[in-house]
Amino acid sequence: MILVRKEIFIDSIKYLLFLGVVITIIFLSSANMNYNWQWYRVPGYIIFRSADGALIPGRLLTGLVLTVKISVISLVLAFFIGMITALFRLSSSFTAKLVARIYLELIRNTPLLIQLFVIYFVISPVFNINPFISAVLALSLFEGAYASEIIRGGITAISKGQWESAYSLGLNTIDTYRFILLPQTLKQVLPPLTGQAVSLIKDSALVSTIAIFDLTMAGQSIISETFLTFEIWFTVALIYLLMTVSISTFVHRLEKRSRYDQ
Amino acid sequence: MTSKPIISITDLNKTFPGPDKAPEVIAVKDVTVDIYQGEVVVVIGPSGAGKSTLLRCLNGLEDFDSGSIIIDNIPLNHHHKNRLEIRKEVGMVFQSFNLFPHMTVRENIGLAVRRVRKKSVLECEKITAGLLEKVGITDKIDSYPSQLSGGQQQRVAIARALAMNPKVMLFDEATSALDPEMISEVLDVMKNLAKDGMTMVVVTHEMGFAREAGSRILFMDNGEIVEDRKVEDFFLDPNEDRSKAFLSKVI
Repeated sequence: MILVRKEIFIDSIKYLLFLGVVITIIFLSSANMNYNWQWYRVPGYIIFRSADGALIPGRLLTGLVLTVKISVISLVLAFFIGMITALFRLSSSFTAKLVARIYLELIRNTPLLIQLFVIYFVISPVFNINPFISAVLALSLFEGAYASEIIRGGITAISKGQWESAYSLGLNTIDTYRFILLPQTLKQVLPPLTGQAVSLIKDSALVSTIAIFDLTMAGQSIISETFLTFEIWFTVALIYLLMTVSISTFVHRLEKRSRYDQ
Repeated sequence: MTSKPIISITDLNKTFPGPDKAPEVIAVKDVTVDIYQGEVVVVIGPSGAGKSTLLRCLNGLEDFDSGSIIIDNIPLNHHHKNRLEIRKEVGMVFQSFNLFPHMTVRENIGLAVRRVRKKSVLECEKITAGLLEKVGITDKIDSYPSQLSGGQQQRVAIARALAMNPKVMLFDEATSALDPEMISEVLDVMKNLAKDGMTMVVVTHEMGFAREAGSRILFMDNGEIVEDRKVEDFFLDPNEDRSKAFLSKVI
């Protein structure tokens, strides 16, 4: 008991020291720049009260909503793209394997920013699609490639015995995937896929480059008008952090609850 | 014994590619056997003799190089329809149980009954209940495999295979992965099955089972069938030196 208390004490000291260093650095840098902190102006960019008393979302909140929208839609799409690509790679068809292979190599070996530009500047004018769809397309294609490798790994990790017993019971390939392999895979790949979801949310900041008013773009535009550089970037970073941490926590809980083995 | 065999194997050959251009490994060599309705054929022999490979060829888990396998008048070849039919009619029990870990006992047994045999929920429940009674684990119907002992898992695996109402049951060292105290509960289920007249092909090291429940012994060595005898004859008076040597080691 005493030992535990001592450890907690030492841990707290370490944490305070670390915090102190961070605050000192920020203070020093802002002092060097003669930075004028105006935190009181930040809440107004999240939500404010108009003249007639109604609550109106500020630019940061509007940007956040768009970021969430883009992320959620891309996440769902990325999952399906990843699943299909994984199944293509595992299939016995040469063409399916080749298509999956080309897609994977193309996406994983070029920068996401360039993919975004290609879709926005080259492909979207041809098919007349709007920036929002371009953004979702780029993000889901990008993250889908990584998700597919995770899912494929999950499927191949399932023991051969599961295939064999499904086979000997006369189940066809589709049923074997649907009832035996995928349910077991999904449980296994949930943690790494969460990591991919967190990446997707962070990568979504790049869509600000194609004239989409997401959280990052909102921050940028506020700063260019008000010069609240430190306050706004800290706030934006904190909002991203809150999103990603809450996803990780939620999935972790889910995982704990649905444990059937061990 | 009926005149027409339910399993007919002719000149079966199977080789595995050797590692790194080494010569291929012969797993099954020139095997010709007919198995009749209701026979309990026990395949024994030293490890590496090709027993499991022969068994796995019978339901198409392994492809063979040459020869033919005919099960219940259906030739096992590359016709998808034939293979599917044979997979339905031949049940298999594995050394490592291979239950579906994310499903309860009920779901493990019911899945193929519903999806392959297309039985109704009601029929499926009836089949499941009946089989669990037969293998003696009615109280575990809603348990997950991880909550069962090895012996219980293997009995569920047997029930799962039986639920398809197969014409032939294959047992691939079904008791080899079990703790000693659980072997008998699985062997008892297998013996009862033999008594009920199920056609069985059993790869095992349990000579007690072979003696008690077997009707015929196939002694294999180096991929060949060295002896094919009635159980009584084999244990009393093995013909070949290799069988004698093997028996002297295991008994």
